[in-house]
Amino acid sequence: MTIAAEEEMPRSKRRSSLIRSPQFSSLVILIVLLAVFAVADANFLSPLNISNMMAFLPELGIIALGMTLLLTAGEFDLSVGAVFGLAPVVVMLLVQNGGFDIGIALLVGLLLCIAIGAVNGLIVTKIGISSFLVTLSMLLVVRGAALYITQGFPLKSWDQPGFFVTLLAGSFNIGTFRFYTSLWWFIGLSLLAIYVLHYAKLGNWISAIGSNRNAAVARGVPADAVKVWLFILTSALAGLAGMISAFRISAASPVAGTGYELEVIAMVVVGGTALTGGRGTILGTIVGALMLRSIRNGIVLIGVPGLAYNIFVGVIILAMLILHALLQKNAARN
Amino acid sequence: MEVLRLQNLQKSFGSVRALKCASFALNEGEVVALLGDNGAGKSTLIKAISGVFPVDRGDIYVRGQKVSIRSTRDAMDLGIETIHQDTSLAPDLSIARNLFLGREPVNLKWLGVFAPLDLAKLRDAAAALLKRVGISKKLDADALVSTLSGGERQSIAISRAMQFAAKVIILDEPTNNLGVEETHGVLRFVKEVRAAGHSVLLITHNIHHVFQVADRIIVMRRGEIVAEQTVADTDLLTVESIITGADMSALLKETRAK
Ligand SMILES: Nc1ncnc2c1ncn2[C@@H]1O[C@H](COP(=O)(O)OP(=O)(O)OP(=O)(O)O)[C@@H](O)[C@H]1O
Ligand SMILES: [Mg+2]
Repeated sequence: MTIAAEEEMPRSKRRSSLIRSPQFSSLVILIVLLAVFAVADANFLSPLNISNMMAFLPELGIIALGMTLLLTAGEFDLSVGAVFGLAPVVVMLLVQNGGFDIGIALLVGLLLCIAIGAVNGLIVTKIGISSFLVTLSMLLVVRGAALYITQGFPLKSWDQPGFFVTLLAGSFNIGTFRFYTSLWWFIGLSLLAIYVLHYAKLGNWISAIGSNRNAAVARGVPADAVKVWLFILTSALAGLAGMISAFRISAASPVAGTGYELEVIAMVVVGGTALTGGRGTILGTIVGALMLRSIRNGIVLIGVPGLAYNIFVGVIILAMLILHALLQKNAARN
Repeated sequence: MEVLRLQNLQKSFGSVRALKCASFALNEGEVVALLGDNGAGKSTLIKAISGVFPVDRGDIYVRGQKVSIRSTRDAMDLGIETIHQDTSLAPDLSIARNLFLGREPVNLKWLGVFAPLDLAKLRDAAAALLKRVGISKKLDADALVSTLSGGERQSIAISRAMQFAAKVIILDEPTNNLGVEETHGVLRFVKEVRAAGHSVLLITHNIHHVFQVADRIIVMRRGEIVAEQTVADTDLLTVESIITGADMSALLKETRAK
């Protein structure tokens, strides 16, 4: 009798902790939002509109995955939007003006993103300047570079289909839905990120570093190296997302991705990842990405005036954060 | 047999000479208490041994071999486990994950840092360990450390050092914040570790504890070792006056005479 009672307790405790977890409350709110939009406008769930949302979702979502890992380790990166803009600009310039093979140009673009991430990471860890300041400066450098090398003009349109274009931005139809291959990238990378953060040794290290860096270092965890690699990963994912976007719309603009850094960070924290590090959730980030995308899409459909979008987005994000904070407090009290 | 020897360790933080010149040796199966007032340099000394930061000057020998300890990993690989005074756990991780932090049991080891954690083993080993230590029998290995009391956290950190059966275990004020039962648990643990042939360097402000478990006493003042005595040859009052510096000259003479 007593044994049964003892075994019963942790299970119910676990279930209630799942319900109280931040990603769960985000999920509930996402469902409510979707329902509200669906009722307010029948077109919201139309194949065309869903296809549309799914085309945009992976581009910011992919960056958000890297940002989640980075935030969990206690750092963040404000230069992702600029890298999103610079990578395709460099690749297309190399191909169109430099006559390089597209494969080589993509490789150069990737190496460039890696270098940007490495510089961010090394300055943050070795010199000890906060990631806010370092990546804010990097945002200016990278955006400035994109503007300078293009002289501020978007590159002429890209009309050479090929292996890489199909790989990154090909599309296919399922029934009346039209999906891009980028969705597969997002799904695949999400699964990888879930594995790494929650099931691999590395994820244990990432959470420990963000939670208590000194404790992690005292256990022999190479905290600085992990952080540098996460900066590199985030930067590379931002470049990948930029390429996907540029291939999809067949154009590269030096101002593409402006403001994305904040949108991505919003997705991550709305999903329940702590801005202060230590607690990260990839599932939450996926929910957060879906939420911000559907908000942006839904408020257009239900007829909110264009210039008022950001008011709504901002208010909804604030409400989410307040909710998380209240849940957190509640959990601490129990 | 000597397991650890420090020779003329020096360490400054800017103009603060936290460690002026510290030398001593630690033998196998011996419990040495490191005493001294706040700011005497005790934590600095053990941080140097455990690889938190490098010393400015001086040598460290492990089992007679000169070693260079450049990182906490180096110290752990040499068999030196340390429980630091400032919290050594990650509050957002579960007890089990904290116990094995840095030494996670994994499957598919060849995957390196991407190797999947062996969650079943992690849980079972953690539960077994908590049971063995006996100072935290009510704790669930899956509970987050942030939900534990200070004393419970200390118990977890100590269980962890015990887990890896290090040659040398360094405890920086391990009984701080502990209740009566937990304190007895720690002292019992120190004796157990000695019985198993390991050495312990124990930092504490509680002299009664010292007389319960230590074999030898080392006293630090302002970055220097000022006295070294075996517990059998001294008493509580003498030690107390050495720490506070009352009548230093007489005591120093006595120490040197030995
Ligand atoms: N990281 C640091 N930077 C600058 N000064 C430091 C640092 N760590 C320690 N100190 C200084 O070195 C001296 C010795 O400090 P330490 O922590 O070793 O003392 P302690 O003997 O452990 O004291 P307590 O009993 O209070 O723990 C102190 O004056 C302290 O202020
Ligand atoms: Mg100290």
